[in-house]
Amino acid sequence: MSEALSAEDLLARIAQQDLAALGELYDRYAFRVFGLLMHILSSREEAEEILAQVFQRLWAESRILREEGGSVAAWLVVTARQAALDRLCVVRKGKLRPAARAEAAGGEKGTDTSSRDTKVSTSAPLAPRAASKTSGLRSGAGKPGPGGRAKLAALVGVPPAWLPRPGEIELIDDRLELLHKVINQLPMSQRQALELAIFAGLSETEIAAELGEPLGKTRTGLRAAVTFVKHRRRAILGKWAANI
Amino acid sequence: MGCQHLEEIYELFLLGALSEQGAQELREHLARGCPHCRERIREAAETVYLLSLTSKPARPNPQVKTELLHGLHKK
Repeated sequence: MSEALSAEDLLARIAQQDLAALGELYDRYAFRVFGLLMHILSSREEAEEILAQVFQRLWAESRILREEGGSVAAWLVVTARQAALDRLCVVRKGKLRPAARAEAAGGEKGTDTSSRDTKVSTSAPLAPRAASKTSGLRSGAGKPGPGGRAKLAALVGVPPAWLPRPGEIELIDDRLELLHKVINQLPMSQRQALELAIFAGLSETEIAAELGEPLGKTRTGLRAAVTFVKHRRRAILGKWAANI
Repeated sequence: MGCQHLEEIYELFLLGALSEQGAQELREHLARGCPHCRERIREAAETVYLLSLTSKPARPNPQVKTELLHGLHKK
């Protein structure tokens, strides 16, 4: 299959159940998705299991994604993050006291993880393992302490209609260095908070507890960090010429 | 309901970092079809996508792809 085909061309073929197209899309994006999964889960076995599930889901939902016009690259990354955080939630539930487990049972959203419960190692840590070790953010953020958290506060499903359009992110492959440059300009405490939100799925309240900060400080810092990145988004993506 | 006070929270909403109360407020607002917020949510998803790319790429075992395609071929 030609290298010239865009990801969206491949998606159109996948929607027609073209396995070779799925294989080609996998070759393009698996290393990126797998890196994200490894960062969150720190387990090759679990990350590979979820990687396969994400592509199986793409196979099943490709027509919907195509109709809605969302970027397939963004869909893969956002869906993988959610699936990995759902898995973390299951792992944490397995480590929680019965009372906390009952609380957690009322709060989980997202993909159905029930069939996978038995595969999760009960010795798994409670948070993204080695959050700073492989991090692009390199924040050195600590891991959530003993007891973990009862649930992922408000893990949000992202419908394809909310995803960026393909043209909005097409240049990102060549501009990741700029993204890291922007992230590295954030104060350390904000980077730590951001990392815990992205890769551990922690809420503002949990991040404040994890960092030993007042909630107000964490909340302000997290919003400032997101706003900083947001305002440089178009420059990162090459839509605006700006010095970063 | 105005949208001004929601400006800072779209990204945190998508990341799942908001309190349940804050997330619920935004969900209800979006459910009412606010066009401004629908557009802002898409921009926020772009930022969340970028933030997720700050992890380092890694190469999975080639067997994962083989088994994936084999499993789908059998269906």
